[in-house]
Amino acid sequence: MDEGPCRNSRFSLNVVIAMDGYGDFESAVLRVAGVSRSFGPKLVLDGIDLEVPAGTIHAVLGPNGAGKTTLLRIIAGTADPSAGVVTVAGDSARPGKDREQRRRIGLVPAQSQSFYMRLSGYENLLFFGRLQGLGKKRAVRRAHDSLAEVGLADAADMRAGLYSTGMLRRLTIARAVLVEPPVLLVDEATMGLDPEGARSVRDMFVDIARRGAAIVWTTQRIDEIRAFADRVTLIHEGRVRFAGSVPELIALATPRHYVVQLSNGSSRSQEILEMGRRAVVRFGELTAARGGGDGHFLLALDPDTVLGDALNELTAAGCGVISVREDRSGIEEAFLALIDRASHER
Amino acid sequence: MNASDVARNPHFFAELIEEGRKIPAFFRRDFLTLWSYRLAFFSDWANLAIQVLLFTLIGSIVDPDVVPSYGGRQVGYVEFVAVGIAVMAFVQVALTRMVSAIRREQMIGTLEAVLATPIRPFTFQLGSVMFDLVYVPLRTALFLVLSSVFLAIELHPTSWPAALLVLMVFIPFVWGLGEISAAATLTYRQGAGFVGLALTGMTIFSEGYFPVAVFPDWIRRFAELNPLTAVMNGVREALLGGAGTGDLLETVLYVAPFSIVSLVVGSTAFGMALRRERKKGTLGQY
Repeated sequence: MDEGPCRNSRFSLNVVIAMDGYGDFESAVLRVAGVSRSFGPKLVLDGIDLEVPAGTIHAVLGPNGAGKTTLLRIIAGTADPSAGVVTVAGDSARPGKDREQRRRIGLVPAQSQSFYMRLSGYENLLFFGRLQGLGKKRAVRRAHDSLAEVGLADAADMRAGLYSTGMLRRLTIARAVLVEPPVLLVDEATMGLDPEGARSVRDMFVDIARRGAAIVWTTQRIDEIRAFADRVTLIHEGRVRFAGSVPELIALATPRHYVVQLSNGSSRSQEILEMGRRAVVRFGELTAARGGGDGHFLLALDPDTVLGDALNELTAAGCGVISVREDRSGIEEAFLALIDRASHER
Repeated sequence: MNASDVARNPHFFAELIEEGRKIPAFFRRDFLTLWSYRLAFFSDWANLAIQVLLFTLIGSIVDPDVVPSYGGRQVGYVEFVAVGIAVMAFVQVALTRMVSAIRREQMIGTLEAVLATPIRPFTFQLGSVMFDLVYVPLRTALFLVLSSVFLAIELHPTSWPAALLVLMVFIPFVWGLGEISAAATLTYRQGAGFVGLALTGMTIFSEGYFPVAVFPDWIRRFAELNPLTAVMNGVREALLGGAGTGDLLETVLYVAPFSIVSLVVGSTAFGMALRRERKKGTLGQY
């Protein structure tokens, strides 16, 4: 598999990707238009739209039960939509009914237990490669290449049942890229992994996207989409609450919660708290931080107030400001704000 | 796959070849899995030897007069039951293996991963039982050879093609039943009850292990209609009585309509169950 020339310039929608392996598709490789899905009377997805160009990572963000996995199943063709159309590489045939479409989609399911645990990692990949329609020689070569690509070459002959969670996760990735499909659906790929393992998995997908694949990446871990996803769609209770770039999502957040460290020479935090409370009463609320006996407090600002003004008031009241940091990341603020807004709309 | 598939799809034969190339992958997977359980593998063969011994002991207490004669030759119970066991092995493969394969894939979480590949349902079904379709006849042949050597069973080697013809006509019948069971497993998750019921019914209401002469009248009437009874008799007529393919034409014509109906109903049921699961989005659930 040759390295492609370069990853798409971010957010560029009308580019032609010509690369070995992941195909040659104009504009969006994957289009999801107005997809809805009900389970009985419950509407799980309501008019979802997505557009994923080649060479980009599109994060689908949402809390538990948002409908992310159902959306992936519909795209993969293992579940039917109640309404709407999924188009892969310009073809709107349903993957569940069209074998050619299934060839174009690689699936990395959330659970890692989707292998034959008595067989080695290599044998598992060989089996799935043959089911993908690869000839024996090509299946053998791709199994070895894919294992090497995800760093499992040394464990190729080890039984999958003996793999760690991280290794199984990497094996699911190796399986998904066996035939180098133009679309990869990745469901909670970093779930259960330590930070280093999660970063390693994300790096793999960045590399795969660089070679031209369109990747749909579902997650509820909002911290991981920063500097990783090109676009993000936030789903809550089956509806799109936000669609745009990560910076656009962050721009929606006005940070309102800060951890401030104060000191006035007194060793009693309670005294500082009382002084501080009186000082910021026009700007918001100061409370003791949990376990914050060393002068750490939580400052929650009211809407339309400015952090600098509140800090000036604290200093003027005799509370020296030693440090200030956001209590949540901007992206988390945005996420919570959007979820909160959606809840109020109901 | 049928004639309309061929008419609709100009690449039908190319796809057929491509699908056929997937079958050895299932075979390899199942062999390696079985081999990984070496104790179970060797226990199975030990069990076979014990089965031969068990039926020898039972044969010593069965009245030879209740056992029918084949080709004008009075056979013993051990000869009678050895052929019954061999045929029942085929029935069990078709009925239980397909269901257990689907259930196992559901339980270990591989069903969705397999069906997300470009594989036809028929290929998946055939692939799931392919190893057993090869392994069980080998095991059965060894059983018959052991029986003929140690229990002095007289088999007609020239009549094996006739016995095989009857079995070939019969396989679609049990395959169809297997598909219905698999459909029940996909839909209701626990298809084992249905399979057990079907298998028990077919076993009792046939001449698998007991001659119809020992049945009460009402069971005997069922048994005589059971296509499995016809198959048992046909195979015994061939292997024990020396009947040729021409002699078994009546049996073949009796079994064939059952096979066609069973296969059509089974394929339809399995296809419907698969579509239903995709529609519901519950393919991977168990």
